[in-house]
Amino acid sequence: MSKPIKGRPSDGLFRQNIVLMSGLLIGPVIAGAKDFYSAAAISLVFSLITFFSVAICRIVPRRLVYTVRIILYAIVSAALYVPAYLICRNIMGEEIMVGVGIYLPLLVVNHVILSKTETRLFHLPYFQMLRDVLGYIVGFVGACMLTGIIRDIFVNARIGRIDIEVGFLVPALETTFGGFIVVGILAGVCRGIYNRAKRD
Amino acid sequence: MLSSFLTAALLAILLQNAIFERAIGANILIYASRRKEQVIGFAVVITYVTTLASVVAWVLSLYLSEWAYFGILMPLLYILVISVIYILSLVLVWRFFPNLFRKITTYVHLSVFNCSVLGGLFLISFYEQHGGELSRFIGFGFGTGIGFLAAGYLLYIAYPRLNSKLVPAAFRGLPITLVYVGIISLALYAFVGYATR
Repeated sequence: MSKPIKGRPSDGLFRQNIVLMSGLLIGPVIAGAKDFYSAAAISLVFSLITFFSVAICRIVPRRLVYTVRIILYAIVSAALYVPAYLICRNIMGEEIMVGVGIYLPLLVVNHVILSKTETRLFHLPYFQMLRDVLGYIVGFVGACMLTGIIRDIFVNARIGRIDIEVGFLVPALETTFGGFIVVGILAGVCRGIYNRAKRD
Repeated sequence: MLSSFLTAALLAILLQNAIFERAIGANILIYASRRKEQVIGFAVVITYVTTLASVVAWVLSLYLSEWAYFGILMPLLYILVISVIYILSLVLVWRFFPNLFRKITTYVHLSVFNCSVLGGLFLISFYEQHGGELSRFIGFGFGTGIGFLAAGYLLYIAYPRLNSKLVPAAFRGLPITLVYVGIISLALYAFVGYATR
């Protein structure tokens, strides 16, 4: 019998946003999501790997010790990386995939698959679990795309292919330290909004 | 042999520090930096796994780096390598150091299956090209773990201030920690010299 879990499917979207509230999986967002397209590539690969890994790993028997289960989870997500990469390459093109570099394969060891499954997702009924994992995915995609768009605006004066009139440019935002600072500020703003909403 | 080991280790600790230069494993670092024992524990496990796995990465680079599908299958191959090291090491620790085994079981899985270890191996493959010396691979793997320890210590000593009431509530903890790591990363960036990149 599964333990009852408190919370709502929308938790992953805001209250437990894995990037801005929990600080999990921030590497690809900080150093990989340098513009709109790289953020889109990371978001797409993350979504495919995470959703299908969680859906498949649910069938791993719970009687196996966690030491073995975590290996199986990692192998499943690494195997799913292959189709996810190919789908993303067909949609986004080779150049963007190369630009994102090692941050795409790093998504196979993400905490939604390796940790959240154990602490939360696998305690829920199957379809509620899928709804829940979609919440986490949307939360990650939102944070990743927001970071990519902000950097695209202030580094390249555009969003994707749409040029934007910006009074000033901040090329340093493209660097890793720029990424840390942008994501740090976004996390602070997100927490501020959440705290205020909770108070009200 | 020793000089190439040291050069690669220094490269991984300073110039290509996985945390400050690539943000690889930043989440694990932030989690571990709350307690000194955790920083050391995580760093030891990460150093151990990346150093051992770097030997296998060298073998893979010799035989598979020219293979067209190596890049796309690299995560799976490295996960298998890490898994074998993880299982064998746990069995050895359980057999010969049962007290240590009990202590590390709470976090060992987190310190093995994370971005630091996998990302460190990707970086080794990225920087040490096909036919590179084994000592450079081992040096880079070792340096990746030591770089994590250095970054972890910098975060650990700042942890009480970053979580104090002097910081506005919304920015306390994670947000200000990210900004702090960003500033250290900026300092390292300036120290290395951006013109050389």
